Amino acid sequence: MTLALRLRAVTRQKWQTHIPRRTTRPFHTPSRQFQQQQQQQQQQQQHQEDNNSRSTHFGYETIAESEKEGRVRNVFSSVAASYDTMNDLMSFGIHRIWKDEFVRALKPGSLHSVDKGWNILDIAGGTGDIAFRMLDYATNVKNDSKTRVTISDINPDMLAEGRKRSLWTPYGGTERLSFLEANAENLESVASESVDLYTVAFGIRNFTNKQKALEEAFRVLKPGGVFACLEFSKVQNSLFNAIYKRWSFSMIPIMGQLVAADRDSYQYLVESIEKFPSQEEFKNMIELAGFIVPSQAYENLTGGIAAIHRGIKPLHKAQ
Amino acid sequence: MNPTPFRAICRRVSRLQHGLRPGQMQPAKSTKQKHYHSSTSPDPSPFSPVETTILSSALTHVPTHGFTETSLIAGARDAGYLDATVNLFPHGVFDLISYHLATRRLSLKDEVQFLPETHLGIGAKVRALALHRLRANGPVIRHWQQALAIMAQPSYVPASLKELSLLADEIWFLAGDTAVDTSWYSKRATLALVYSSAELFMATDSSPGFRETEQFLDRRLEEVRSLGGVLGAVGEWAAVSGKGFVNVLRSKGVGI
Repeated sequence: MTLALRLRAVTRQKWQTHIPRRTTRPFHTPSRQFQQQQQQQQQQQQHQEDNNSRSTHFGYETIAESEKEGRVRNVFSSVAASYDTMNDLMSFGIHRIWKDEFVRALKPGSLHSVDKGWNILDIAGGTGDIAFRMLDYATNVKNDSKTRVTISDINPDMLAEGRKRSLWTPYGGTERLSFLEANAENLESVASESVDLYTVAFGIRNFTNKQKALEEAFRVLKPGGVFACLEFSKVQNSLFNAIYKRWSFSMIPIMGQLVAADRDSYQYLVESIEKFPSQEEFKNMIELAGFIVPSQAYENLTGGIAAIHRGIKPLHKAQ
Repeated sequence: MNPTPFRAICRRVSRLQHGLRPGQMQPAKSTKQKHYHSSTSPDPSPFSPVETTILSSALTHVPTHGFTETSLIAGARDAGYLDATVNLFPHGVFDLISYHLATRRLSLKDEVQFLPETHLGIGAKVRALALHRLRANGPVIRHWQQALAIMAQPSYVPASLKELSLLADEIWFLAGDTAVDTSWYSKRATLALVYSSAELFMATDSSPGFRETEQFLDRRLEEVRSLGGVLGAVGEWAAVSGKGFVNVLRSKGVGI
């Protein structure tokens, strides 16, 4: 990026020294003009470099890293109340099937009643969608009433929504469910090697530094523990992809406008989906953080609109 | 006719076949699968070291717990991992079954070796290899019907059939068959059929040393041999009559 800019700046300089642009001001000799331009451009470059070194994506915009957290917070604060309605409308209710499939694939909970259950950390799980499903699975399928879930979210409004909803489930107010307001890139209140299963569903896309969050997941997981991620991904079929893109870019912001009275947040949503790495790229990021991935590293849902990624923390860190 | 192009075609065909190894079922496999048989360099295991550790210790629990998640979890625990670690196997118990199938198939070449001085025919070698492979199911035979039921689940059928075709291919290769004509296909198809029916028979065989399965296998192989002879005779008859028919037409002035 900076190299390209610099190259362009250099070519522009050469071009401009040969063409006296302002003939009305004869006192500006070409050499003086060159010096001035050089200084200006250096200043510009300096400015751009400052921004570039710590910049990140916010949808299609490029913003400073320090800004992203706040802006994502605003998006989710504004959508928290209408979160489910909008999800149902945007995905025709399929997001529920994805979440069910995600939990079924992970099979949370101990098989034997003598065991002490799993310690699950659900990151960016504010509204509790995944947490309640996992507790249901553990209780009803595995007959395990000891598995615990900690719902962590950076956004207090989403957590408040989750707290409210938990009162409608058998787990609200019990020790099996707890809430934590924390940044996934820095989970200092979670002890190292204390978690059996780390889940993040439709959340990691919004993180400022995804790799750092993956490394933090690696730290808090026990050896043998599982990192699992459900996230929008790349559609594999090009025809289906064209239809899907048309739907998401034209309809979703309009629906956001009509239902949630917030077009920008939903514009951000579709842009952030587009910006998220492909299945293979994300798999490489998981491996880079130190995890070993299954031989089938990811599982596509609905043709790749969403994908389930898994990583296992090895007993011994790879050499 | 020069056999080289034929061989090239067959190699390409077998390459296609081997492209359908378990490797393809698992798109993210980093270990490279060979697309041909090599007698000098062994096939790399289709399973990573951690997978091998967990699955091989899970297999020791199969005689007691069957092909179940309980065995898988017990295997993970034995290897020092957590219950949650079985997430390394997205297909769950089917991964345990395919580990059993793949390792038994790959160990055939080490366990059955024909000395050059024993002048066995290819048929006898195929019989010995198939029988050895069947006997390798012995320790888990009580749970084999359960395994077959899992393999027959619609989403696992393609992978199971692939594994069966790989086994048939392996047996013919180890028996020293070098045919590159269309019998390449018929040989593998019939052996796959014979082997799978014998496996099914063995699941309910309680005779000592699986003697009845051995007899069953011999009867099926004998049928194939006689059927193969009949088919060969029919083919020869068809070729001769076809030629005759063409000659009759030519004698009538048809420009063929």
